[in-house]
Amino acid sequence: MSYKFPVPTQGTHTRPFWEGAKAGKLMLPRCQDCNRVHWYPRFICPHCHSTNLEWIQGSGEGTVHTYAVQHMAFGPWAEEVPYVTAYIDLKEGDRMLTVLRGVDPSKPEEIRIGAQVKVEFEPANDDMHLPFWRVVEG
Amino acid sequence: MPGTLYKSAAIVGAAEANQIGFLKEPVTALQLHIEAIKNLSDSTGLPISRIEGVFSTGWSSELCEHLGIRPKYIDTTAVGGCSFEMHVHHAMAAIHAGIIDTALISHGENGHSARAIGGRGAANYGRGGVNSPGQEMTMAYGLGSAPSNYAHAMVRHMHRFGTTTEDFAHIAKVTRDWATLNPRAAMYSKDVHPFGGPITVEQVEESRLIAWPLTILHCCMVADHGGAVLVASPKVAASLNTKPVWIAGAGESMGHSNMLEMEDFTATSASVSADAAYTMAGMGPSDMEMALIYDSFTITAAITAEMLGLAPRGEGHLLWKDGRAAPGGSFPINTNGGGLSFNHSGMYGMPLLIEAYRQLSGTAEDGINGDKGKQTSARTCVVNGTGGSLSTTGTLVLVADD
Repeated sequence: MSYKFPVPTQGTHTRPFWEGAKAGKLMLPRCQDCNRVHWYPRFICPHCHSTNLEWIQGSGEGTVHTYAVQHMAFGPWAEEVPYVTAYIDLKEGDRMLTVLRGVDPSKPEEIRIGAQVKVEFEPANDDMHLPFWRVVEG
Repeated sequence: MPGTLYKSAAIVGAAEANQIGFLKEPVTALQLHIEAIKNLSDSTGLPISRIEGVFSTGWSSELCEHLGIRPKYIDTTAVGGCSFEMHVHHAMAAIHAGIIDTALISHGENGHSARAIGGRGAANYGRGGVNSPGQEMTMAYGLGSAPSNYAHAMVRHMHRFGTTTEDFAHIAKVTRDWATLNPRAAMYSKDVHPFGGPITVEQVEESRLIAWPLTILHCCMVADHGGAVLVASPKVAASLNTKPVWIAGAGESMGHSNMLEMEDFTATSASVSADAAYTMAGMGPSDMEMALIYDSFTITAAITAEMLGLAPRGEGHLLWKDGRAAPGGSFPINTNGGGLSFNHSGMYGMPLLIEAYRQLSGTAEDGINGDKGKQTSARTCVVNGTGGSLSTTGTLVLVADD
């Protein structure tokens, strides 16, 4: 079945991320001067303003920072309500947004802030494999 | 000690479009602007031809052309609903610098009518377009409307401070109580709107879920609104029909553009913009006698009250829950009925300014039908706009004329 949700347009400087995603790797930008990982990918390190950036392979592990259950949505997502969205604290630092998997949207109180999550990739088309995060323990 | 810009300018008038709310006959945003500007000129006695600076969220050149005026100062800051508080800050600085003596700040937004006839609101809020890497890494995940984002902040607040949806529901209930005193409020009564009139905490809790934990009554409306205020130098202020309300302090800041970059989901840059405003005013939260706080959602109002120093962290909701913010309470908040129950067209910063002006100039009954009710005795007011996804803030400290 083909992927029906909106797919981002690949930017001019994010190719390593999307190439990694196709290979099942979570690639993250890191500053070679201050050694800090940031997300989303920048043209300049938001911490020390160095332009000496590199891509590293992340662990694909993190924890739930906060979440919500969407009951009203637009476009193809409207057919999916309710679904859970979450901000994920990456093990390497900084945060990603996801539609959270492995949780029950009808029981929002049972979803735990701090729960361990792992990344997985879903092919949207030949070029774009999108990262989603799944709760791996309660 | 107040700062250099303390009382260097005043808000000298405030007006709205002829009709606001869920308008049956669709209007354009431009019409809402122009009606408000005309009403502002009529009430203050300042001819439109004497407007020297024009401040709006991207509309300034179109407004000037439409009005046939040639401004000396143009500002189009558009960073969401707090832009208008920032416009006051910028206008004050331009007046203090001697560049202009009069500044028009104008708002027109047909959030409701646009569904029938189209139109534009704020244009680009500065959140980045298709080529923004922030958008690239978030657009796939089913967030769209404002509540879909803001719900995450409420969950984090509940986790960190042990607050509940019921705590926040009191904000919606109390704000509706204020709206029932304001005949221009979209939710004034059942006659005005089928869902208008008083509401209970239980009704807020049990209303339709939009983005858990936000039910629809935790969310502001999207209606039509036009409004304008005039900011002027002390010299011009003394020559007008209307009373001045002095700008004692102003400040602005931002935390992020994309909510992905919000470091602490229970805090906004209002702590920074408020600190600047209080410092300029030589005043603090304990000197404030009322507040007008952008309430896009109940959680926005609660967090902002905390950021403004009106309540300890995690306890903002208590201002409403224990009745201090309510009609007759010791610290009135959102006396017009707020974005929750008065009017919110997409950007709510202008209604905050208009109500603050009316309260501190003693004209808060709107002159509509002489209803007694929402005028308070406050002489000082802190006003805070929040834009984007809890992203940007503008804070003003306003004081009544002696």
